[in-house]
Parts: sequence; C-alpha cells; structure tokens
Amino acid sequence: MDESTTGRVKKAPPAPLPEFDEETYLRLNPDVLVAVAEGKFRSAREHYEHYGRAEGRLAMAPRDLPRDKIIITARPGSTGEAPHAPLGAVDAIKLSSAGGLFVTGWVNDSLDRLDSVELYVAGWSVAFSATGLARVRRPDADKVAGLLTPHALGFWGFIYAGQRLPSGKCNVVMRLKSGAQLILILNIELQDDLELRDNVLNHLASAQYPGPAYFNAVSSIGRAIGTQLVDFSQMLTRKAVSTPYIERFHRSGRVPKASVIVCLYGKPNYLALQQALFSGQAGAQDYEFIYVCNSPALAEILLKEAAIAQLAYGLDITLILLGTNAGFAAANNLGAAHARSNRLVFMNPDVFPKEPDFACRHLAQIEEFSAARTDIFGAALYYTDGSLMHTGMYFETDTIPGFVLGQKEDETILRAEHYGKGAPPEDAALLRPRFVPAVSGAFISMSRGWFEELEGFSQDYIFGHYEDADLCLRSLEAGRPAWLADLRLYHLEGKSSPRQLVHEGASAVNRWLFTHSWMEPVKAALLGPAPAHPALAEAMP
Amino acid sequence: MKILIVAMYHPELVRGGSQQMAHELFQGLKDVPDVEPVLLCSADYNSPAMFKNGARITGFDQRDNEFLFLSHDYDYNWHKMPLPLQAEAFAEFLKRISPDVVHFHHFMAYGIDYLTLTRKTLPDVRIVFTAHEFMAICAADGHMLRKADGSLCEQASQVRCHQCQPHLSPEEYFLREQWMKAHLQVVDLFTVPSRFMIEFYTRWGLAAEKFVHVPNGLQMPKLPVQAEAPARRNRFGFFGQMVDVKGLHVLLEAVNLLRAEGFEDFAVEINGENIQFATPARRKEIEEFLAEEAARPPAERRVSFNGGYPHGQLGARMARVDWVVVPSIWWEIFCLVISEAWHFGRPVIASNKGGPAERVTHGKDGLLFELGDARALAETMRRAATEEGLWEKLAGGITPPEPRAAMVQRYLAAYEKAGLAAA
Repeated sequence: MDESTTGRVKKAPPAPLPEFDEETYLRLNPDVLVAVAEGKFRSAREHYEHYGRAEGRLAMAPRDLPRDKIIITARPGSTGEAPHAPLGAVDAIKLSSAGGLFVTGWVNDSLDRLDSVELYVAGWSVAFSATGLARVRRPDADKVAGLLTPHALGFWGFIYAGQRLPSGKCNVVMRLKSGAQLILILNIELQDDLELRDNVLNHLASAQYPGPAYFNAVSSIGRAIGTQLVDFSQMLTRKAVSTPYIERFHRSGRVPKASVIVCLYGKPNYLALQQALFSGQAGAQDYEFIYVCNSPALAEILLKEAAIAQLAYGLDITLILLGTNAGFAAANNLGAAHARSNRLVFMNPDVFPKEPDFACRHLAQIEEFSAARTDIFGAALYYTDGSLMHTGMYFETDTIPGFVLGQKEDETILRAEHYGKGAPPEDAALLRPRFVPAVSGAFISMSRGWFEELEGFSQDYIFGHYEDADLCLRSLEAGRPAWLADLRLYHLEGKSSPRQLVHEGASAVNRWLFTHSWMEPVKAALLGPAPAHPALAEAMP
Repeated sequence: MKILIVAMYHPELVRGGSQQMAHELFQGLKDVPDVEPVLLCSADYNSPAMFKNGARITGFDQRDNEFLFLSHDYDYNWHKMPLPLQAEAFAEFLKRISPDVVHFHHFMAYGIDYLTLTRKTLPDVRIVFTAHEFMAICAADGHMLRKADGSLCEQASQVRCHQCQPHLSPEEYFLREQWMKAHLQVVDLFTVPSRFMIEFYTRWGLAAEKFVHVPNGLQMPKLPVQAEAPARRNRFGFFGQMVDVKGLHVLLEAVNLLRAEGFEDFAVEINGENIQFATPARRKEIEEFLAEEAARPPAERRVSFNGGYPHGQLGARMARVDWVVVPSIWWEIFCLVISEAWHFGRPVIASNKGGPAERVTHGKDGLLFELGDARALAETMRRAATEEGLWEKLAGGITPPEPRAAMVQRYLAAYEKAGLAAA
C-alpha cells in the first residue's frame, strides 16, 4: 500500500475532476478501495483529490485499452507497498563465559533482503551485518514461508567479544533492506567456551549450504566469522597450554641429539607402538621423545604406557598432558619448548620408520648437509600397502562460479596437493631429494634455531590442518624452502586420531585462513606442481 | 642351569595344550641333574580366587618353584597389558630368579612386549619361544582360519586380515605385524611342535635358522590290561574340546550320512567338554543332535556323550573305542590326542591338514580324510568299520609317541643352541 492510503502524508487538495467516476476509480485502484472500506477516506473522490491526482493515477478507464500490453496507471514508485514485517525466527543465542556469541535462525528475505540482525541486551548490544552472516538452507523455513523453490533463508553468525558479557533477555531485531523489521525477545543460553567452539564448528560443518557444501562452508565464514573464530580459538589454545602436566621418564645424564615431538589425540596405543618400532633401530638412544597429549581422557593410560615403555625400551620420554585440546600447532610448539636438543623432529603418532637404519640416517643428514638442506626437511611417506603416500606438497586452487554459491562473485580457495600419491614405491623422479613448496607435518625435521626464528607453528589454525603448509611457506618466504630428504617412513594417514564433525568445521576454518593468508603469494609464484618461485630452483646451495 | 618357563595359564586351573606342555616340560626338567626349572603361569579372570590384594605374582598351591602371574586388563587386540606395576613385578621377578633361559610358551595374558622387557631386564639371558599356534601372525585367535568362509588361511596380509576381521583397518594389521615382529626379534630360538609351522613363520618373515622342531612329549598313564580283542572294529571315539575348530560337528554330520545310507553298524563315543566356548550356533547344533540321540530307543542310538575326563580316566575311555577320530577344521598344530591314541594303540582317522597330516601316514598308521568333508569322513568310517584286517594293519603300523623325557632332552639341546645364537 502506498503512503497515501496509509493516511500518513497530507497534501494540498487538487482541483476537482468533473467526469470523475467513483466506481471506475475504485476498480482501477484496489488499494483505495481497501482504504475507503477501512474508513480512512469517505470516498474515492476524496482520495483522488487529496492524493490520486498528484500520484498520476487514472481516474477513468481508457476507452480503447490496448490488448496484450501492460498499462502503467501511476508514476513508478508512487504505489510501492509499505514494508511488511518478515517471517522469521531465532533458534538460539548462545553466549560463552569468555564472550563468544553465536546466533542462529532464519528469515524470509527471499524478496526483501536481510540487512542486519541486531541483539539488544541490558549492558551491551551488537548488530550482525547480513553480509557477515553465513547463509544456509532451511527447508523447514521454506515450507513455513510457502516458498516453492529452495532459498537460503537460514543464517548464523559468531562474534567474539573478548570479555565476559552479561546475559539475560535479548531483544532481537531482524532488519530488512526495506526497513521492515521483525522483533523478537529471547533468553540467551550460557555455554562453556569449549562447548561453544565445538557447537559453532559443528554447525559450520553440518549446516546445509546452497551448492557445494564444503566449498560454501569455507566461503561463508570469509567475511566476518572466520576472523572471529580464529581469535576465539586462539584464546582457548593459550588457556589449554598454560597449565600442562609434565612427567619425565628419563635416564639421568643422557643428552639427546634429536627430540621427536609427537602430538597425541584420541588413541593411546601409538605411544607403545612407536616406541617398540623405533627403539629397535640402531642409534635410537640418541633420540628423546616428547609426547604432547590433547586428549585429557587418555592421561591415565598414557602415564602407564610411558612407564612400561621406559621399562621395556629405555628411550627418554617426556609426557605432556593437556586439560583440553590445544590443537596440533600449539601442542607441537609446547613440545618444542621442552625439547633438550637442537634438532626438532615433528612426527605424527602414526608415522613409523620404513628403513631399519632410519634413526642413524636422519642424524647423518644433519651432519652431512648444509643448513639450507637441513633447517627444515621432510621425508618420503609411504602407505602401508607399499605405494608412495607422497614426497612433499604443492598448491592448487579450486574455483566455483558465484551463481552456484548464490553470490555475485566467483570464489577461489587454495588446496594442498601431494607429489606422487599412490605412486610406485621406487619412482626415482618423485624420490629425488629437492626443494619443495611444503612438506607434511606428519614428519618435519627442523633445526631448533630456525623453528624459533619462524616462531613455530601458527596457532591460528584450529585443531589441525594447513599449519604445516603455513610453516613451510613462511620458511620459504624467509629464504629457506623445505627440502625433501632421502628418508622413508610409513604413515597411516588419518588413522592416528578419530575424526569428528567438529574437525570438519575446523578444517573449513583452516582452509579459509590458509587461503586468506597465502592466496596472493601462491598465485604469484607457487601455483602448481612445478612452481617458478626462485627459492625452489634446482641449483644446490 | 636355571630355566624359567613362562606359560599361559596353569593346566590345573585352565586346561589347554600349551600350558599342558609347559607343565610337562617343567616336570620333566626336574628330573635332569643340574637343572633348576621355575614355572610362571598366568592366571586371569578365569581363576578369581587366585588373586590377592596388592599381589602381582604369587605362589601356587604350596608348590616349589611354581608361580602365578596375576594378569588383568589385558589388551587382546595388541597383546599387551597396560599396567606398569605388573611389568615392574615381572622385571623384578626375572632379576630375583635370575634364569639362564627364559622359555616362553605363550605371550597371551602377559603381552608380546614382555619378550622385549625380558631382554631389557636380562640382556644376556637366552630367550626361547615355543609357538603353539599362529597367534603372532593371525589376529583371529591364531588359528589361520578365515572367518568369512571357514577356509584355511596360508598367508596373512593386511588386506586378508581386514577381510577376516573388518573391525580393524588394513593399516592396523600392518602395524600389528610390525609390533609383533619388533618383539619377536629379541628371541634367540623358536621351537614348534610341528614342522609345517616353520614354513608359516618363515613365509611371514622370521628367519628359518632360528627355528627348531621339538615334538610334544607326554608322560603317559600306564597301559590298561589288554581286554580280549573285539570281533568288530567299529567303535569310534572323539576326544577333546568341543569348540568349533575341533570339528565335532563334522563327525556328527558323518553319522547322519551313514544313517541315511542305512549303515548303522557302528558306535561313536564323545569324550569332551568346554562346549560353552563354542559359537552359539555350533553349540546349539551339537546339543540338539545329542538330545535327539538320547531320545532314541537304546537299540537305535549310535552316539553317546560321556562328558569330560580327568587324565587318569583316559585309558578307560580309550579302551572303549577302536578308532580315534580327529575331525579338526583348522590346522591342528600338533594334536596331543593323536599321541594319546597311539599310546593306547588306537589308529587315528584325521583331517588331512596341519599337524595330523604331518604325523599320520595314510594307510600306514591311520587314515586321513578331506578336512571339513563329512561325506569323506563317513566313507572313511564305513571303510574302517568294515574292511577286514585294516584296523590290525594300521594299529601295527603305529610308532609309539616320544615320551616326555625325549622332549626334555630336545629342549635342553634347544637351550644350548639358543646360547650359541645369543653368543
């Protein structure tokens, strides 16, 4: 209904129209018919004289109405409908003790787009811009809104206040572009910080996105949520590593030449298996093992396993137990801080020597070669079926057209690829020692000095994934690309820890973060299996 | 020479072949001058009364040099026990006993890593390991019997093992093999009761020169007074555990086939126990057969169930049969029942694989039939019951099994060889 029929705008009455026909005017202007019926005007003529003429409305039906053609009977915009309060709902507003705030709901903005979701609470308020919210499919909302084709009516958002916020009643205003708004009052749910992070990551991973799910999940957090989640998770990581329980199973007087740092999560058996398989190697006594456990539930069994391992195998073990999951990067950084040697070997728990002389050959590499080759190096990793798992990593991009994602712009994200996945085990070209864009965090050997200069693994990455590539790229940018050494290990990829939905969510955040951080340098000189980056040149240092 | 024998279970607490042989060896070594044997047997949830508060190793029933290792929380997947106090107790026990030889007859209930723990605790000790089945190779109870179709398995691999027991991934089977081998490498000498096992273990990757064949030897009860020879040799006996792999169901199916053919001039006596360890389906099948048999009029009964028997009754039970049937559907590593049958002059009708096939010479001292084939067994039983002079010929071809004392001498020689290997 236009503003004239709401009766809110008063204008000067125009001159009367002698041939004005009341019935015709009402037929041509159904909104006036309603306004007269509601008593807002005494007659059609009154409306015409006060508003209709000025709005350019027809007062008489044209005598020869053209056929099969739309006739405009008022100036454009003058009869635009007034904003309607949209249909919508807020499913939950969750607030954690450290100030993480998660909101999820839906709104029918299929015609009138959402502009913002505003929360007003006693003592604070926040306005989520619609562009910063993730939009997801909600078939249940489509049904309620009577939409026949699927729309992304759902939304969710996350913001981290960095401080404790009071909870209580919350006034939610869902504001559309037209100015229409839906106002709701809800109670805020309080949640533990870790639970809230899991909740958000689960939501990120499980929500129904329009188009390719994983791609859109990554894309949906790019405008605002990703940064907020990373900040929130960093805070949790710092807390997780602040009060570790440390027990040392050492023989006095032993000075290790290398410190193997292993991050454990979910499965306790790998400590014993790794100790059994490593300790039989010549030179194993030159290594110490530092196990950092991200699963508090494993604390008791790991203490027992470490005690038995010391009895049966006799290698020095440091066990660092964390009360919550600090993620791969922080656990490894913490392990490195407790290392007693200048050689840090980051190794997954499901990595085992393929060669009987691995322990000696690894140390020999460090003694024989220059820092350029040994400051950071990886090894050829093998599947247990005998084929190559990979010999280093490179980078590719994935692009999806914007229309597939329901957005204007195309979306491109980075992907880590591997040299020689599933290749025959003795492929000389793949095994050739060389500089590579990155090596897998399943096995990275680094000089302690270089690791510390790079400030270790980035703890921005949640739980795990991409922090290894990030470390290698930072090393490369600083002039030390990763070297693929002539060493071989088995890797039972993905078998060392149970994979849950929350990890899928974290993986999406990490992929966004990695893309956000490295897209430009990778596009410039590091794209594809044979990138042109000068640091990767074949010439031996 | 001090010899510590480490066994799974004490045979007087839980019956079984490996513990029986460990105990036989222990008893036999006592008779050897200048040898001091010590026996350590595990006890677990099967013998709760043996546990004592705070104890990890205790004595056993006032016996000299017999001890119980009180095992619990055992990880059957990886064959290890996640209890450091138990490991410490074992290491302390090793130091206290200070043996020249530690002879493992099993690792179950201790952990395969106890081999490495032994080497770590006593670096110079000779470690001998007797494999009584394929537990190190095969996660399916060490039977090398494929669970999907019951076929015999000759080669473990990560994919084949995963197919057999899919709850573990191929990678975990790969790791299991690495884990087992990492610990078995501390062993100076392996012994096996049957030669065919050596091929299995070497195919799996262990060194053939580390293996020695030591047949099991039993201290047998005295022979009963010979009764007058019966006119017919048509009585068949089953002796042993009533678990699936022993193949009792094959024998019962053979009885059904003989009946269906109208041949009823035979009798079968079943001497066995532990049916509670059979799979539910097999147990039901056997119990239903025996119930139906018991419900028949006495003149129509062909199968009688005598239950278990103490060792002292073995002679009496053997005296009631002419033939001993060994219808095992797995490799049947050695088969002590064959030794017992031969001791009492009973020819054996056995499945044609594994230990029985190695020991029984078809047509000389017994008869072999196709493993798992009830029709082949039925035909063999009919032949045995009807062929004139066959029993006498085969009984006459039996070579009496080696006695315990011979086994003890072979083990003493093995310990010497282990000493050379260790040196």
